[in-house]
Amino acid sequence: MTRDAVWSSPAAIDVENRLFRVLAVLRVVVLVNAVALNLYRADNFSHPAALAACIGAMAAWTGVAIWGYAVPRRRTLLLLAADLAVTAALLLATPLVKGPDFNTSVPGFWTMGALLAWAVHYRWAGGLLAGVVLATVDLVVRDDISQTVYGNAFLLMIGGPIVGFMSASVQRMATERDLAERSAAIAAERARLARVVHDGVLQVLALVQRRGRELGGEVTELGRLAGEQERELRSLIREEAAVVSPGHDQALDLVAELGKLERSESVTVAAPATPVEMPATTVGELVRVVRACLDNVAMHVGHDEPAWVLLEAFPDRLELTVRDEGPGIPPGRLEEASTHGRLGVALSIRGRIADLGGSAKLATGSFGTEWEFVVPRRGREVHQ
Amino acid sequence: MSGAQSAEAIRVMVVDDHPMWRDAVERDLANAGFEVVAVAANGSEALARFPAVRPQVVVLDLQIPAPGGVEVTAEIVRQDSSARVLILSASGEHADVLGAVKAGAVGYLVKSASREELVDAIRRVARGDTVFTAGLAGLVLGEFRRMSEAPSSPRSAEPQLTDRETEVLRMVAKGMTYKQIAQRLVVSHRTVQNHVQNTLGKLQMHNRVQLARYAIEHGLDEE
Repeated sequence: MTRDAVWSSPAAIDVENRLFRVLAVLRVVVLVNAVALNLYRADNFSHPAALAACIGAMAAWTGVAIWGYAVPRRRTLLLLAADLAVTAALLLATPLVKGPDFNTSVPGFWTMGALLAWAVHYRWAGGLLAGVVLATVDLVVRDDISQTVYGNAFLLMIGGPIVGFMSASVQRMATERDLAERSAAIAAERARLARVVHDGVLQVLALVQRRGRELGGEVTELGRLAGEQERELRSLIREEAAVVSPGHDQALDLVAELGKLERSESVTVAAPATPVEMPATTVGELVRVVRACLDNVAMHVGHDEPAWVLLEAFPDRLELTVRDEGPGIPPGRLEEASTHGRLGVALSIRGRIADLGGSAKLATGSFGTEWEFVVPRRGREVHQ
Repeated sequence: MSGAQSAEAIRVMVVDDHPMWRDAVERDLANAGFEVVAVAANGSEALARFPAVRPQVVVLDLQIPAPGGVEVTAEIVRQDSSARVLILSASGEHADVLGAVKAGAVGYLVKSASREELVDAIRRVARGDTVFTAGLAGLVLGEFRRMSEAPSSPRSAEPQLTDRETEVLRMVAKGMTYKQIAQRLVVSHRTVQNHVQNTLGKLQMHNRVQLARYAIEHGLDEE
């Protein structure tokens, strides 16, 4: 966003409006203060008629300024310049009205109206410019410069830029907050739309799959394809939904990764509803182990034979089970494979689990085959 | 299978925002001998029609226009505790499924389930059984684990599964049928069914207690 866009954003204009509304109240307060002080000291004045004219001018300009600054489009350079000119003119008129030897100028604190208007509208640079102009005029009209007069001039010089700077900061923050809120709203809406669209697609895919199975023939193949796409999309959604907390970029959600292995016709994955975060390498190894088990099912039991994966997360360990209802592994087969030097189940499954510091248990028989893996959750406390 | 026992046809309401699905399910159920007493395309329609038609079983899609499936489940069970809500979901978002089951749904099927599975599931929930998929059992197991792990204040005793219940639930999550579990544990089919039902009951009871406690703590119980 460019600099100009920051100041012209709706949020920045809103901030400016609010500041000018406060400034309008302030102008009335300092006007009442100035009028009261001048009337109180009316006998100091050498030209009472001129004083009355000055007070009238201040009151009139206060009205004009409040009206003028109320609407953004009237806040032109002309208005601000006139504001500063009127204030400077009243300062310049003071020696004429009060005589050359005076302590307090006629406008007094009323000068801050113009100063703050410049600071609010033109930020620190405007505040500085108005401060310099007013301080210079104030010093020029005086014969001798007392400590107090110098102090006031100095306050004008630093007060303008400070208020200007703060006005700019608030405007910038309001703009940024606005922007952040808008992008958050857009992201939420996009996510909602995606859910609706995804759900619609999933519904149709599921329907095609279901009808395909029932109708048979060529349509069965269509149904199978729809089922494959349904699974792909579902795991994609699950992946998107699993937000891994920032900070541990090496962490992956094991639930989402295992979900990808699901096949609607054969493989079922059961897992907790909440993400199970583990180091990416551990997750990768566990997924490879499960895939090896499922490959075995496909090879030795049948391609579309059912298999089940269960993930249980305990505070100190994970338990993973892969089960099928095949004929079981004949006794001695695993040993035979490894003695023949083949990289069989023994190495690829048991080895990986052992590397993770876990244990593997195999139960096989006429009821089927069940692998049970227990893997410690190391360094989990670090993440919490 | 012939399910046309019209004398005691099961009264079903189908809630789904997808017209194609709604029609397909309605037709399948009618063919199987059920009486489809109402259909609804969104949560407010479902809640408006439910009291008028009093179905025994509500087949409910989770992703429907507001109020969503979880709220609809809670409201239906609140109005009529004998009504059975069977969730039929396409996206199977874990949190939603678990939410609906905690709110009182007694069964869950993915939409890719076959017509026979759906018909069988409706018969079972109408009988008072629960219909657990392996996936749902995994979610429920995980939820009990999460609750037992959470630092519990002394006054709130988190519900715990007995060892037997855990064992049965794990078997369901591993894809075993009730019959297989009964054989493995040498108990009756009914006993297995009871264990599964108890786990769901504990979860739903805990949810109600939590809601009531929340209401009391936040002064929502004072009408």
